[in-house]
Amino acid sequence: MRLADSRALVPDLITTAGEPQADRRLIETIANWCDRYTPWVAVDPLGGAIAEEGTEACSAGGFGGDAGLLLDVTGCAHLFGRDEAGERALLADLVERLARHDLTCRAAMADTAGAAWALARFAERQADLFCPSHGQRAALAQLPVEGLRVDTPILETFLKLGLRRIGDLYPLPRAPLARRFGDQPLTRLDQALGTLAEPIEPRRAAPAFRTRLAFAEPIGRSEDIAAGTSRLLAALCRQFEQAGVGARKLEIALYRVDGSVDRTSIGTSRPNRDNPKLMKLFEEKLGELDPGFGVELMILAAPEVEAWNGTQDALPEAGALAASLGEDGTVDLADRLALRLGAENVVRLLPRDSHLPEHVQTTANVSAKPVPSGAWARVADLKGARPTRLLQRPEPVDVTAPVPDDPPRHFQWRQHTHRIVRAEGPERLADEWWRPRPDGSRPPANTVPPFRDYYRVEDDDGGRFWLFRDGPYAAAANGRPTARWFLHGFCA
Amino acid sequence: MPVISPSAFAPPVASRAANDAAVPVAADLRERIRRLERAHSAQRAGQAAVPLGVAPIDALLPEGGLLTGALHEIEAGPAPSGRVASHDGAALGFAAHLLGRFGAKFPGTLLWCRRPSGTFDAPPYAAALSAWFDPARLLMVTARRDEDLFWAMEEGLRCPGIAAVLGETRAADPTAGRRLSLAAEKSGVPALLLRPQPAPPQSVCTTRWRIASAPSHSTPGLNDIGGARWRLQLRRNRFGAPSAAEIPSWLVEWNDETHCLAVVSQAFHGSTRESDARLVG
Repeated sequence: MRLADSRALVPDLITTAGEPQADRRLIETIANWCDRYTPWVAVDPLGGAIAEEGTEACSAGGFGGDAGLLLDVTGCAHLFGRDEAGERALLADLVERLARHDLTCRAAMADTAGAAWALARFAERQADLFCPSHGQRAALAQLPVEGLRVDTPILETFLKLGLRRIGDLYPLPRAPLARRFGDQPLTRLDQALGTLAEPIEPRRAAPAFRTRLAFAEPIGRSEDIAAGTSRLLAALCRQFEQAGVGARKLEIALYRVDGSVDRTSIGTSRPNRDNPKLMKLFEEKLGELDPGFGVELMILAAPEVEAWNGTQDALPEAGALAASLGEDGTVDLADRLALRLGAENVVRLLPRDSHLPEHVQTTANVSAKPVPSGAWARVADLKGARPTRLLQRPEPVDVTAPVPDDPPRHFQWRQHTHRIVRAEGPERLADEWWRPRPDGSRPPANTVPPFRDYYRVEDDDGGRFWLFRDGPYAAAANGRPTARWFLHGFCA
Repeated sequence: MPVISPSAFAPPVASRAANDAAVPVAADLRERIRRLERAHSAQRAGQAAVPLGVAPIDALLPEGGLLTGALHEIEAGPAPSGRVASHDGAALGFAAHLLGRFGAKFPGTLLWCRRPSGTFDAPPYAAALSAWFDPARLLMVTARRDEDLFWAMEEGLRCPGIAAVLGETRAADPTAGRRLSLAAEKSGVPALLLRPQPAPPQSVCTTRWRIASAPSHSTPGLNDIGGARWRLQLRRNRFGAPSAAEIPSWLVEWNDETHCLAVVSQAFHGSTRESDARLVG
């Protein structure tokens, strides 16, 4: 029906522009909020499709009639009461809390997602919204076939054939039904009745380890949040111990009274289940959390865990280094530093077999395998004198060198001339032709690879520098030498 | 309460040990004064100080070396006008020497915190540092702000697995220096501050060194570069013995083969410069 026709029928019709993006955001917010009940929350994938077809289905939320959420509350309802009473209480709690946020919803609970989907949209009586365990066959029998989540052409054929209720399909022989309509109706029917599994896909990976703490009164003070975190952490660490794992990543979520959620996470470089150490890491981050008008629920989850090998680390080859690493808490220190400064800013230095000075030193994460204690000495022994600081980008200098292959007499750097008194060199370092270049190409064969001639020089003031000439002096085009000189580092 | 410096009536260092054995009362008194002055300074592994490895310098330092639970500052000597970073390599080398001395005494990680400051935002080059200590022991931390740098250093000083902490920055913040000093005293972990240029003096550090590169000694007849030579000034020496010169100064040479630092005697090195002659004490 067009808007003009609608207005003709109902003159005082209120119209607003549709905002699918905002609707989407709202349903995402509600889905976040629903994490308080279970980590398995999915936005109903069929919602949009049904709206396009114009079905008048009504579900959670009062906008467009297309939005729906699926919650898998298996094993979660016991927090609200025993067995069926708990499930009913959970459902009532969900509806009531959403109503407090001025959201109208119809929520149904059944053994299968399909049955709950149909009940939420087509149940006629309020009492039918809760389907007791194993009762979905009877409950669905009276519902219209629209509740079966089949494509519109199939649905229209069903209606033409007089199959108006889902129950009408029960006695039909399966083989002719499949031959006539394809797999979909039988699949949907089996899924709704529970003979075929239908896992729901949660929006975020459901963590294997999770603890929650609900408050009777909303809390807002940072001390209370810290105390709550500490209690959650203690419970989670007990779970870790039973499962024999340690956390690599922990995430704490604050569910605020206004329905929004604030999260923050910490990471550790080794599996960890040491309560005080993890708490110390959290203390850095808790300040970032905003409790808003108050927090009514906190959930601590471990999205990443790893098997815990009993000791913090047992790395035999590094001897004293490894011992000091684990026992004395350097790793914990590195975790704390990385949390504030960023993991890329807390590193160890690794040697690399290369002739080019700028490639000798690489960095690695703290959790990486430590360097054997002699590796650096071996690298240093192979090389000549090296600067204590190597510039990341060599600085061009102007050089006066009387004889082409001799060390320079003067060099000018940053507008100051250094007179060279002593010099050592050259040390010729050629391009590593056996390695592909950074752009992936290989150096052409049968050519002299580019090289640098390094000189260690000392100026009249005692400063020691590491200079290099980039390549040989070539035949000068206009009477000037073509090789360029660079300053690459400062020597001790 | 007037505090009497132990050095005010101290006999020459060489004979101190002999005197202590002979007169237990003097040793006892000296120990009591030490406690009065530095009762808060924690000892580490039964060691209050780590010798620098250069006898004439160690003689001036309290406890015969660099105190472990203390803050030591190293600044690169003022560059001649217009020049940039001419003493950077030398200061880095001396800092590495101190780290190596501490690292040899205490096991554990060496924490090196830097705040890249524009021009030379390059990390130290580990292939060269391996002359002083094993770079595999380094934990390199890069901070974007000075507050973060000092925070990281303090965290490191509180951590028992750390052998020594070095911070490389231009910032001269007396409050931060005081905090570092206190944290070092509490845990016994030595703290070093390396500055690329002289900063306004602060009264918090235990020792302050100023390093400048000095011309090296060529093999006669050759124009090669000898062992690295540094002009070393001890500009502050808290709790230390007094010296004849107002600012004790030495010309030292790093021997790359024996891996030790030694004072170059003036007669041998035959300085041609007036300033050298004046500075060498």
